[in-house]
Amino acid sequence: MTLTHLNERGEASMVDVSDKQSSHREAVASGRIVMQPETLKLLADGSMPKGDVLTTARIAGIQAAKRTHELIPLCHALMLSKVTVDFELDTAAHCVRVSAFCRLGGRTGVEMEALTAVSVACLTLYDMCKAVDRGMEIMDVRLEHKSGGQSGVWERKASPETVSSDTVAPVADTTDLSDKSNESPIEIRFFAELRERLGIEKLSVLPGHLSSPTLRGLKEWVKSQVDAPQALDQPRLLCAVNHDMVQGDITINPGDEVAFFPPVTGG
Amino acid sequence: MIRIQHEPFDIGALYKGLSEGSHNTGAVVSFVGRVRDFNESPEVTALSLEHYPGMTERALENVVERAQGRWEINDAIIVHRIGYMTPGDDIVAVLVSTAHRHAAFEACAFIMDFLKTSAPFWKKEHTQSGAYWVSERESDLASLKRWEQQ
Repeated sequence: MTLTHLNERGEASMVDVSDKQSSHREAVASGRIVMQPETLKLLADGSMPKGDVLTTARIAGIQAAKRTHELIPLCHALMLSKVTVDFELDTAAHCVRVSAFCRLGGRTGVEMEALTAVSVACLTLYDMCKAVDRGMEIMDVRLEHKSGGQSGVWERKASPETVSSDTVAPVADTTDLSDKSNESPIEIRFFAELRERLGIEKLSVLPGHLSSPTLRGLKEWVKSQVDAPQALDQPRLLCAVNHDMVQGDITINPGDEVAFFPPVTGG
Repeated sequence: MIRIQHEPFDIGALYKGLSEGSHNTGAVVSFVGRVRDFNESPEVTALSLEHYPGMTERALENVVERAQGRWEINDAIIVHRIGYMTPGDDIVAVLVSTAHRHAAFEACAFIMDFLKTSAPFWKKEHTQSGAYWVSERESDLASLKRWEQQ
């Protein structure tokens, strides 16, 4: 089964045609489905009997977000301007992590849409994989973040178990933090949609001002400096250090140039 | 040769530059990517392309190096435009010269597949009803898979 033409014509990834004012309402929800390691491997290899699992689950999640009002009795029908559903295969915890992002410029919040997208994407993953693993568990479906509207920004407080196990790479020895006062600043750059959402192109910080000399510490600092910190929580946000793409947490050195940006779309 | 530029390019001139005087080249494959009037929305009126100066060149050099590690490549050219373009405009040219055709076809496809997923370019599409940043495509990520399997 292939759904490529849906992607090509934008069905899988709804077009955001709203202007990008800060009054927009956004919500990010997440969840995960835990399975046998062998099931996850079949999924990763594309060997599931029902075909392309992730593409199907993504479409299901997007469709579900659009139909939330039909499922939840007191929910309004919304004109969503953007829905994305992303998956992360976590081999260490043998689960698929699902996250959904919804945005609109309407008069009511979008957290129900994001939660519905995650739930239905998880159910679809179950359906697509149940032939090989009936014991899968859908867990931790929850709101991560919402913004816009009267209640303003709400952010889930980080707790140790919310940290994805594979994004925490070992950090190099950081004991030598003495005398950072005269070190060169770290330059931070933002590109494309992220730059527009943050409303800034560049930031600069002295290493001593970070809670830890790591990418994680730097990101924390950036979030404390900007009006739209949730923009840095996009699941597919990419990062480059000194012009090389990096993954996970790494040590950041004085004088480094760190860039954050959305997935690339050249060619 | 890797070039990032605002100006349109002349594919004929690029071909000439690549092939002229080269007597060990038996095949040249060239690819040109263009602006379509439909993509995520059915009526794209224009495209603006942004990049990360410094990193883009490095990423493209890495892609060419990886291709050179897999095929006997005589020469390779990547020209990528940035800025404002309209449907029908050329965006990117990739040319590869080799001794035999199979290597040229494969290397050219390989370079495009990795360019699309690793070089820091971002497209914004303009339509009558507004502009939006183009999303990444699952199919582009899937295209990389075939190079892993070999």
